[in-house]
Amino acid sequence: MSDIYSASIGAFDLLVSGDAELWTIIGISFSVSLRAMLIAVPIGLPIALLLAFGRFPGRRILVTTFNSLMAVPAVVVGLTVYLMLSRAGPFGDLKLLFTQTAMVIGQAVLALPLLIAMAHAALQSADLRAWETALTLGASRPRALLTVMHEVRFALVASIIAAFGRIIAEVGVSMMVGGNILNYTRNIPTAIALETSKGEFAQGIALGAVLLFLALLLNFFLNLFQGRGELA
Amino acid sequence: MIETVLELIDTRMSFGGRQLFDVDRLAFKSETCLVLTGVNGSGKTTLLKIAAGLLSPERATVSFDGQDFSWRQAYRALRRRVVYLHQFPYMFDASVFDNVAYGLRRGGVSSPEVRAQVRQALEWAGLSEHTAQNAKSLSGGEKQRVALARARIISPHLLLLDEPTANMDEEGRERTLFFIRRMVSDGFTVALATHERHLVQQVGQVHLHLEDGRLKEKPIPGGGEQAESQARDLRSA
Repeated sequence: MSDIYSASIGAFDLLVSGDAELWTIIGISFSVSLRAMLIAVPIGLPIALLLAFGRFPGRRILVTTFNSLMAVPAVVVGLTVYLMLSRAGPFGDLKLLFTQTAMVIGQAVLALPLLIAMAHAALQSADLRAWETALTLGASRPRALLTVMHEVRFALVASIIAAFGRIIAEVGVSMMVGGNILNYTRNIPTAIALETSKGEFAQGIALGAVLLFLALLLNFFLNLFQGRGELA
Repeated sequence: MIETVLELIDTRMSFGGRQLFDVDRLAFKSETCLVLTGVNGSGKTTLLKIAAGLLSPERATVSFDGQDFSWRQAYRALRRRVVYLHQFPYMFDASVFDNVAYGLRRGGVSSPEVRAQVRQALEWAGLSEHTAQNAKSLSGGEKQRVALARARIISPHLLLLDEPTANMDEEGRERTLFFIRRMVSDGFTVALATHERHLVQQVGQVHLHLEDGRLKEKPIPGGGEQAESQARDLRSA
């Protein structure tokens, strides 16, 4: 019990003293995951739109596939991306393995199924009358689509937050394709895993506290955003 | 001479292999209130949505501006000319102001002009005190008036109302009918679908009845005089 207490005090010290190593790890985590979301969102939302409103053969199979991919463990995604980027893999010549770019790609791949499945569910829950009302009031189809997206914006934002929450806290992909290199590819989850295996709990608790604070912050912003009702 | 704003010719629609209707001719006469009656499930809503360019028919010819078009050629023009109001009008998750301004903004009207026109439309609908309120929080009758103001502001060639007084109390019904009469007296062409036959006498100038997939013109008790005189009163008011 006293070990946990002293580790927590140590964690607090590390956070408030601005420990360079700790804050570099936090910076890498955010930088990699935000870049992954910048790739995943512009790919994921159009796919979700297509699955929600498009009518083409194989649509149901695709929806089922993305729903199933949500359950794929991060290490399996990590292994797949590893095989793709390893020297013998199809993209081996790019020499991306054990770089932040590899982590960004891996996390984007990990985020996509969750983002697509949740955004698809959000768009499917939209009221058909919203679409028809926009069209009958003179909106073009793309404009009506934006209006419908605006109507379900909280659910769409929730899907983005959920996807970000999944990748910022994942270990499998980061460890396998990033390599856990200090000051380069070591992020919060891989650092927690490493420090815990070494029996150094202070840094692990400090980084865990950052993740917890992040979760609270994201939900706070979501609630704040829900209070606004301005039409785009 | 009363002009025809829009005409649907030879309109056929089927669902699941069952023919819903086969309508020879449906003409919407300028500045007239047409009442379309029929039992639930007879196809009134479907027919209105086809006229609004929102639902693709099995077959239909659309006529306006002296020209005939297939529905596929005409549906974009229909969406620009016709406004369809749902039985329970959809309110965008935004203020009453933004809801009423929606069509104007899509038409590229300048912001000061939008503000002026919306203010006027809200006064017309008696909703000025609700300008900043979220439209989703309004009562059923108020939503109906927002929808009417939202349609009126873009001056459609034809306004289609689907069961506009459904599930309303007597006061809400009277108020909605009052606004419909006002729109007709202001020169709008209105058609409403209803299963409430008494609306024919109250606002109708033309009565069509959809039954067994066919459209039949029916006489209006009193020859539509009640609606005519009320429209005259509103015009002179």
